[in-house]
Amino acid sequence: MIIANQKPSNEIWKMIQPYQRVLIVGCGTCMTVCGSGGEREVNFLHNALRLMELKLNQSAHTFSEFTIKRQCETEFIEMLTEKINYVDAVLSLGCGIGTQAIAERFDNLPVLPGVNTSIIGMGTTQGVWLERCVACGECILDETAGICPVARCAKGILNGPCGGSKHGKCESNKEMDCAWILIYKRLEKLGQLDKMRKYYPMRNFQTIPRPRRLIKSVTGGNTDGQLSL
Amino acid sequence: MVNSLFEEKLDSDEFLITTEIGPPKGIDVSEMLDLIETLKDRVDAINVTDNQSSVMRYPSLGGCLLVKEHGGEPILQMTCRDRNRLALQADLLFAYSRGIVNVLCLTGDSVEAGDHKEAKPVFDADSIQLLKMIQTLESGRDAGGNELKGIPRFCKGATVNPEADIIEPQLIKFDKKVEAGASFFQTQGIFDIAALKRFMQYATRFKVKILAGIIVLSSARMARFMNENVPGIIVPQSIIDELSSVEKGKGLKKGIEIAIRTIRAIREEKICSGVHIMAIGNEHVVPEIIEAVKIPSSL
Amino acid sequence: MTLDVTSIESQNNSAILDRSLMPPCQAACPLHMNIREYVDLVARGKVMEALQVIRSDNPFPSVCAYICSHPCEEACRRSHVDKQIAIRALKRFAVEFGGDRKVRTEARTIFTEKTAIIGSGPAGMSCAFYLRKLGYPVTVFEAHTEIGGMLRFGIPQYRLPREVLDSEIRRMTGMGIEFRTGTPVVSLDLLFEMGYQAIFVSIGAQQSRRLGVEGEDKPGVVDAITFLREINLGLKPAIGENVVVIGGGNVAIDASRSALRLGARTVNLVCLESRAEMPAFAADIQYAIEEGVIVNCSWGVKAILGKEVITGIELKRCVSVFDANGKFNPSFDDSITQILPADTVITAIGQIPQIPESYGLKTSRGTILVDPVTLNTNRKGVFAGGDAASGPATVIQALANGRLAAIRIDDYLHHRYPRSLENENKSPLGELSPQTIQAIRKISRYEPPLAPPEIRIKEFQPIEQVYNWETAVDEARRCLRCGSGAEILFPDKCATCLTCLRVCPYSVPRIDQDFNIQIPPDQCQACGICVTRCPAMAIALRKPWDRRHINEEIERFRHRIKITQSRPLIIGFCCQYGLFGTGKLAGILKTAGEGIWIIPIMCIAKVETYHLLQAFELGAEGVFVAGCGEQCARENTIAEAKAQIQKAQSVLVEIGLKIDQLQAFLPEAKNDNRSGDPEKWLEEFAGYIGSLHLNSLLAAEGKN
Repeated sequence: MIIANQKPSNEIWKMIQPYQRVLIVGCGTCMTVCGSGGEREVNFLHNALRLMELKLNQSAHTFSEFTIKRQCETEFIEMLTEKINYVDAVLSLGCGIGTQAIAERFDNLPVLPGVNTSIIGMGTTQGVWLERCVACGECILDETAGICPVARCAKGILNGPCGGSKHGKCESNKEMDCAWILIYKRLEKLGQLDKMRKYYPMRNFQTIPRPRRLIKSVTGGNTDGQLSL
Repeated sequence: MVNSLFEEKLDSDEFLITTEIGPPKGIDVSEMLDLIETLKDRVDAINVTDNQSSVMRYPSLGGCLLVKEHGGEPILQMTCRDRNRLALQADLLFAYSRGIVNVLCLTGDSVEAGDHKEAKPVFDADSIQLLKMIQTLESGRDAGGNELKGIPRFCKGATVNPEADIIEPQLIKFDKKVEAGASFFQTQGIFDIAALKRFMQYATRFKVKILAGIIVLSSARMARFMNENVPGIIVPQSIIDELSSVEKGKGLKKGIEIAIRTIRAIREEKICSGVHIMAIGNEHVVPEIIEAVKIPSSL
Repeated sequence: MTLDVTSIESQNNSAILDRSLMPPCQAACPLHMNIREYVDLVARGKVMEALQVIRSDNPFPSVCAYICSHPCEEACRRSHVDKQIAIRALKRFAVEFGGDRKVRTEARTIFTEKTAIIGSGPAGMSCAFYLRKLGYPVTVFEAHTEIGGMLRFGIPQYRLPREVLDSEIRRMTGMGIEFRTGTPVVSLDLLFEMGYQAIFVSIGAQQSRRLGVEGEDKPGVVDAITFLREINLGLKPAIGENVVVIGGGNVAIDASRSALRLGARTVNLVCLESRAEMPAFAADIQYAIEEGVIVNCSWGVKAILGKEVITGIELKRCVSVFDANGKFNPSFDDSITQILPADTVITAIGQIPQIPESYGLKTSRGTILVDPVTLNTNRKGVFAGGDAASGPATVIQALANGRLAAIRIDDYLHHRYPRSLENENKSPLGELSPQTIQAIRKISRYEPPLAPPEIRIKEFQPIEQVYNWETAVDEARRCLRCGSGAEILFPDKCATCLTCLRVCPYSVPRIDQDFNIQIPPDQCQACGICVTRCPAMAIALRKPWDRRHINEEIERFRHRIKITQSRPLIIGFCCQYGLFGTGKLAGILKTAGEGIWIIPIMCIAKVETYHLLQAFELGAEGVFVAGCGEQCARENTIAEAKAQIQKAQSVLVEIGLKIDQLQAFLPEAKNDNRSGDPEKWLEEFAGYIGSLHLNSLLAAEGKN
């Protein structure tokens, strides 16, 4: 799931200053799940901004709110068309994708980001998400016993662990497990330590120039997609 | 073809001593030059560190140039933290052209450890991939598969940590580094001779030379600090206690004593091929240590 | 000192808002009373509203409050947790403290069709009540000189005091119902000739069955109905010292206990049934035993002994009461016998109706034959109900039957197809799962205060006292609010984020096989935590005591501010359950003065962050949330409220308000001396806010 954090309200406050009528748009999928931009957060922010307006003795802004199912789909964004006519800016509580999608569609309107998109996260206990994948485009989880060194090793190396691994923890963050020690232990458990003895050449960073594009053709049988530039 | 004096020494059975110098944060290299003068004839080679602990400094390549110009034998330290494969290869070509052919290949400390915490870490390669990259250059091609105009040759080294608490992954990496062409290894700080011996039992199957890293501690506080903050270093409690037992101000003396003791043991028991003395901040005591462990020989 | 506690009971919950399911108590009640509603009102201290709800479904709340057999309590799911809610006792509390005696019911005559009721027992009176409310002229014919039927003559006064019944009857005459006492009806045709267009025959079952044993007609043998009637008429029937009562039902128990109160030395009750099979109410059997009645189970009567006077009674062992087909067919073992000394024998083995032949009504096994849907007899325009049609039943069943008859008579007189009514006796709620039961806080039942047995048998005063405020509210708060819990009202908004599943203290939400979240209504305890936490705001409570009602209250304040141009200094969100129940929070109402506006909330877990922000937006300088703290009948509510408050406080800091301007008052356990004094706390808070307000005014002055 894409995980983001709502920006502090004073930062949002500064962003909306130049605009009189602001529409706060929420997202009903990832941002709802991580509690940063769903309907409840939109409602909260709306109330907070109105209160700030009042207490700072201004009447310069009017706010409205609307939450769509997903901000990354054109069909859902279309549902904003009518409302856009009556606002001067959109404050999107969708992730970076959603915010940009809205900006692309309504390109004569300033679109402001209300959240800081952070990680592709795995949920654990309520409210805690851990980064597990960085969308490198070349998944090698079969070689590393299901533990991703690109996401979980601070240096992202493929022939780990580095010399700084101490007591099974990472040199740069003692709270964090050294991914390569985790990989070593699990490969041992699976009886696949040979995989660690292999030489892994340098990564093909060619998959990572921005922006990447994925084209998938969905035919009758298997789907086959190819990552291209 | 450039020869490496250090490589020649590696091929012999001499007990080797190397040490390292950390360049300044700035352009005033006068102190470094003084150290080079002091040390160049006392050791078999001098490492120049490369933005060590992710603190931005005068580069290793520049320091090695100075060592070379003043008659010493430099070992270039190359980390993968700050340069991508293009820059690494380009620097290597330049180094060779200036007679700097000993290279210690390191992955590099993480950016968080240093003083530019928001910098982008590169890690286009890791230490093993860097060794392989050099091997490729030596075969006349670059890492992109393109032919080189003029082929360099290097004396490649890497690090290993015989005192790691989980040893097997370190041994796996050691194998891979040897496979990738490393001919010498400088270890992390050794405090436990028995651990070194155990490691050497494993390592002797390879034709590589191991130089045990010797850290000169100056106080119990420094030892504890290193345990907490320096990657890969574990100072055992017994050493910390030893350092605590002396009065204030005498710590460095104790540290020197411990270093000498350790080197002597390694030398007398012929545990490995030599030592690499690390006295960052106290490089001036290195001659004293070397003097103390000298066996009358041709140094 | 003005207090602003807005009440929204007057607002109707429209059918769209109220999606609650029928709880088992309501389903089991023959009148389908809205028990959940009135118990909740009692829990909030709103007795008059509770009484209103009771009155809307029950013609005789006072009577039921004393003697109802409470099938609702038998169905109450709380009994699977600890013990069932004392619903009847709570009804009595509402009736007494809500001033039921003083309530008058109005009725107007809308129609001209005259209706006649024969028999003024509970079924007849209920029918009369509802026909009158519908607007018909009603006449009740009662053969006896006094009104009430079994209510007056069959039930002893220690269970139903005379004044209670009399006040109900007064109310009915006040409605315009005509009672003709001392008027037995011999012919239905006569009534039709008199102009009545519909007749309800509810003559009850007053004839006692005979034992059919030797000695039955001797003096000293009396049937229980006669016995009880004489007591209630004020005549003291003569009884001896050793009384034996035959029968295992309520009448037998009533007779036994009455005999004790009349001074009998020993009272033996003898019945065919085993203890478990006895049809009498278990509680009453227990009271009887406590008072000294000796219950002898599984005995039948062989003979009543004695020549001119009775000396004893010979019993034979009853081996089984029902045969293989479940029919009443007792079998005996004559070899096992015993003799009990007795100088009085009271028979209470069942009653049958005495249906005059002249009525021309078809009967079946002694009772009037009626169509189960229309309550029609074989004669057009003649309906029947109560014990006369069903055989002996409970009072509440008779009341329900009477109400149904009124509806059917109304259908008939308007030539309407009989209206279909809601499903009878159906509750869509299943059993509580062991997991849910474990998570529910156990609170022992507050038993209605009962006088000790030695005192009880001295006279015919009511044995049960009414709750006081605190006990009533605490008992009412134990209610699980079955069927009014959370549902995903907007499934299209649900992102299946699993928050509701994780925050529920009772582990109720489940993932179904289609990977959707289901919130089983039979497990949900309506605490409201998932409602305030759902990131998509997709969940609502079936009964809208959630943010919707707080939104309405805030809207009212907005309106009031607009109209009166006044602003609140402090707005307080006060939990209604604590506000009255513990007595502690009631102090807040007392202390609140001008400028402190109170929003009543149904537990602090319902308050959402934006409510707190809106309170400041309305102009309040101070906002507080007050709840019953550790006494809350639901779990985790304090932590939830605190989380919402903290989030609001983070915004306050951004706009330069002080965190202290938003506070919570959540006292510790009930008898804990450490718990705060709400009055003092509110005084301090008000003082603090007041001084802040003054400072800001001065600062504004200074600027000018």
